[in-house]
Amino acid sequence: MIQVESLTKRYRGATAVDNLSFTVPKGRITGFLGPNGAGKTTTLRVLLGLALPTSGGATVGGRRYRELESPLRTVGAVLEASNYHPGRSGRNQLRVLAAAAGISGSRVGEVLAEVELTAAAKRRVGSYSLGMRQRLSVAAALLGEPELLVLDEPANGLDPEGIRWLRNFLREFADRGGTVLVSSHVLGEVAQLADEVVIIHRGRLVAQQSVAELTAQVSGATRVRSPKAEDLLARLRATGIEAEATGAGLLAVHASPDRVGDLAAEAGIPLHELVAESGSLEEAFLELTAEPQ
Amino acid sequence: MRTLRAEVLKTLTTRLLLWYGLGLLAFLVLVLSIHIGSDDVGDLSQVSTQHSIFAVAGLAAVLAVLLGSVIVTAEYTHGTINQTFLAVPRRDRVLGAKVAAALVVAVGLALLADAATLAVAELWYRGRGLTLQLDGETMGPLLGTIGASALGAAIGVGVGALLRRQTGAIVLILLWLLIGEAVIGAVGDTARFAPGHTLGAVVAAHTDGTRDTLAVWPAVFTGIFYAAVFGLAGLLATIGSDVPSSGD
Repeated sequence: MIQVESLTKRYRGATAVDNLSFTVPKGRITGFLGPNGAGKTTTLRVLLGLALPTSGGATVGGRRYRELESPLRTVGAVLEASNYHPGRSGRNQLRVLAAAAGISGSRVGEVLAEVELTAAAKRRVGSYSLGMRQRLSVAAALLGEPELLVLDEPANGLDPEGIRWLRNFLREFADRGGTVLVSSHVLGEVAQLADEVVIIHRGRLVAQQSVAELTAQVSGATRVRSPKAEDLLARLRATGIEAEATGAGLLAVHASPDRVGDLAAEAGIPLHELVAESGSLEEAFLELTAEPQ
Repeated sequence: MRTLRAEVLKTLTTRLLLWYGLGLLAFLVLVLSIHIGSDDVGDLSQVSTQHSIFAVAGLAAVLAVLLGSVIVTAEYTHGTINQTFLAVPRRDRVLGAKVAAALVVAVGLALLADAATLAVAELWYRGRGLTLQLDGETMGPLLGTIGASALGAAIGVGVGALLRRQTGAIVLILLWLLIGEAVIGAVGDTARFAPGHTLGAVVAAHTDGTRDTLAVWPAVFTGIFYAAVFGLAGLLATIGSDVPSSGD
């Protein structure tokens, strides 16, 4: 659905995005992760035609955004929540957009109802809370009934209720067959929501995998409990396996449970617990984006 | 066409036009009252005086330049330009629609200024026992106001697209019109070709030019030239640059 290909974007000598390539498959929720300044917003803005690439590019369904015949019917974008004229009502903000995109005015009322803003529709946006403006952004994105939603840090500034609303909303959108690309640094949110993640750091691709694959990859440690933990530790180290004692009778071993179990059996060491500890998305993210020491 | 509709809708869904209209009316009432109320009856009866009274409506052309620039810069100030370009990614089309919308609105303001000028002048003349002479010679500035406002709006859109910053654009336009052109006028004899003087000449609508003022048609063509130059520069600046963002 989305293809970013060899994208590079430089600003006065500083490289924001560096030869970045990744794809976003149709019908899935893809988290777009990276530390602040990694180039997430720049990438999304190039994708949406708001920034010009230095080289390479990004396409939606094989076409650049500017070439789309009905952009709002193809892509719904949620960018900064502050992108509204404070003196214009929420309803009129959407009427303007609908008029520009050739979308029926009746859609305005429908999307306002969908994001639960009907009661505040006639109020000026200047009086909206951040959460309400974020909902208005979602309403704007839904105007053209697009198949693809692109969201840049949508959870920024939202209270827990707003975050839950957004998560449920995006899940329902994806369940109806929609595709979502959502950038975030709130890793817990993405872990609960995304099917897969694209991680970038300093403008470069670090990983693109499913959330399950990624957390399994960094799982590393196997927790072992044994009455003869010291003997097992010596045995493991003798075979070149990294391990350390983490408590009375407890070891953290950097090898698969199968290997640890086999070695213990060979040595006749009883095991009372052998658990593969799964890593969190946060651990994976920090590990992949860690600065070299 | 739908882009134009959206641009006109933008101007109608904020209080921008209301404040511009009220400000224009207040200024016209004040200036015309001082002018007509303080002149002696002999002067007011002269055609040239009535011509200059109707030329007060030309203030609408200055507002049109400001309005044209604000139609563009307000979008950058509030970040709504992002939504605008998401809905219509063709930036040339957006800028063209903004020029057209600015023309529509500026002509509307010019008509308001003409009507207000006529009404206020008529009331003052009646009050002083005089009759306004309404003919081609005295009414020229009322037509000129419409033409100059249209040209001013187009120039304003170009300046706005070039500068993008609302306060900067307004300050620069006012400084240029109030000080810049006076300086040019003081140091040389080419001030009649400056943008503000050109718009003033369109308002004045004289058939013959002088050392200080162009005749109406040369002024119209010079105004079109400025509109084209600023419009093209604004278009190139808009097409060839990123839309500002606060993200990474």
